[in-house]
Amino acid sequence: MEKSVAIEARGLMKRYDNDVAIGALNFEVLQGECFGLLGPNGAGKSTAIRMMYGSSLIDQGDLFILGLNIKNSGREIRSQIGVVPTEDGLETELSVRENLILFGRYHGIEKNLLHRRCEDLLKLVKLEEYADHRVPELPVGFRQRLVFARALINEPRILFLDEPTLSLDPSARQWVWNQIQNEKAQGRTLLLTTHDMEEAEKICDRIAIMDRGKVLAVGTPRELIQRLVGTQVIELQVPRGDLQYYLSRLSSHNFAFQVVKQQVNVHLKDNDDPQRVMNLVQGISLTLRQSGLSDVFFKLSGHDVRDELI
Amino acid sequence: MISSGKDLYLKRVGIWNVWGRNFLVFRKSWIVNLFWMVVEPTFVLFSIGYGVGAFISSIQGVAYVDFFFPALLCLTAMMVAFFETAYGSYSKLNFQKIYQAMILSPLEPKEIIFGEILWGGSKGFLSALGVTLVATVFGHTDNLLIIPALLVVFICAILFSSLGLLVVSFIKSHDQISVPTSGFIVPMSFICGTYFPLEQMPVALKYLVYLLPLTHAVGAVRGILLGGMPWWQIGLHILVLLLLTLLVVRAVQGRISKKLIH
Repeated sequence: MEKSVAIEARGLMKRYDNDVAIGALNFEVLQGECFGLLGPNGAGKSTAIRMMYGSSLIDQGDLFILGLNIKNSGREIRSQIGVVPTEDGLETELSVRENLILFGRYHGIEKNLLHRRCEDLLKLVKLEEYADHRVPELPVGFRQRLVFARALINEPRILFLDEPTLSLDPSARQWVWNQIQNEKAQGRTLLLTTHDMEEAEKICDRIAIMDRGKVLAVGTPRELIQRLVGTQVIELQVPRGDLQYYLSRLSSHNFAFQVVKQQVNVHLKDNDDPQRVMNLVQGISLTLRQSGLSDVFFKLSGHDVRDELI
Repeated sequence: MISSGKDLYLKRVGIWNVWGRNFLVFRKSWIVNLFWMVVEPTFVLFSIGYGVGAFISSIQGVAYVDFFFPALLCLTAMMVAFFETAYGSYSKLNFQKIYQAMILSPLEPKEIIFGEILWGGSKGFLSALGVTLVATVFGHTDNLLIIPALLVVFICAILFSSLGLLVVSFIKSHDQISVPTSGFIVPMSFICGTYFPLEQMPVALKYLVYLLPLTHAVGAVRGILLGGMPWWQIGLHILVLLLLTLLVVRAVQGRISKKLIH
């Protein structure tokens, strides 16, 4: 059975003061999947997600959320989505419970239903004990739980998460990941941005790799890795000066590789024997490891100026 | 799909939800607010109205405190409404990111802006109402004309609440609020027929002062409370206030919307 489309972007463009922030984005997110926009800072993923949840205007192109055109159904769309933004905008003078109730009122949720849902959410994010505490009194890392609960108050069909684990400690990160898995299990569509390749690989069904306002590739993490860089990587620490020598040896044997600073990453296809590379570069320290999304990213983005930034 | 009924409901309550948010936060700190909203103007009423006023036998045919009281209502409404949006909304927009969270809900930027203006205006009005109550306790107001007078005070509060938000749309840092405050609001509080009649002004300045909104607020409220002003003149003052309000609200709507969704 074919799944229906939750988000459809066609030729999305966005400029900031003549700088192109987003250049012609095209992608589809299916209902019930967890879709990740992956890329370094400044790749345009945050602008893209803000356009989708209606906080950023579209200069060109079309965007449909749940079949509705964002240009003329903004309110209707916002009533069916939930957002975990980077700047939480929580009400610091109000209690945890009041924050949820207030947001539910913005959604026009009927009073009794709202109070029931609020208690359920407090339980879900395990903030019952802090319900009457003001936001600044929450333990570090618990704010994000409240932001999560706030995003779920209207039982959204799509949940947008902009860098949900940025600046969280490992246990809070783990909590967010579990929560995302739970929401996915409930059949909710999720769209998140992250610059953390490991995170994307771990929780996303499909990802779009972005850089400089463009989508470089879309697919499941496994598929992207297989297709673009192979399953294994050999990292070579090449002494300065010898780089050209080794690179020409690798090319003449048809090995694909990426140079990242002084390191050469040789991508091995499934049927490649690592021993063949080892024989070619004897005497150099090397490491054999599984390929990851970061290899895909380096390959796609070109590995020039950009790697200084990552 | 949200039904059109729900859509209509959200449209109807949007502004009030924003207003309600502010009222909820206000309730948490109303005692602190009471000080600058009512206690401060009460001191002005006593020190200027009754204190300084005791040395003035009569002004435009009435006691000084009677001459000053209408101006104090407008001054209080102006100050409280302006600072509520200039400082409060600046902080909500730039530090607390309250509006940025609001636009994640079905609220529209327009509703947020109108809700904020209405709230600033309400607070200014509430403040003037507090001063009125104090004055009533001291036997100063005994007249039902206070009701139409307070209506004009409310318009004045809305105007200055929108002006505060207009300031927010221009300034780049918190400190810059002092420019319109010290350059416009505070000077206006002295020269718009507040502490002394406009007749005392040099001719050139006198006409200039008619360009300032507070002049019309004080003119109308004083005209209503003291009498002796033809009704059309009162009406003209109110008309100017309403037109200015409309103008400022329009400008604010365009400029702040751009800050919320860009």
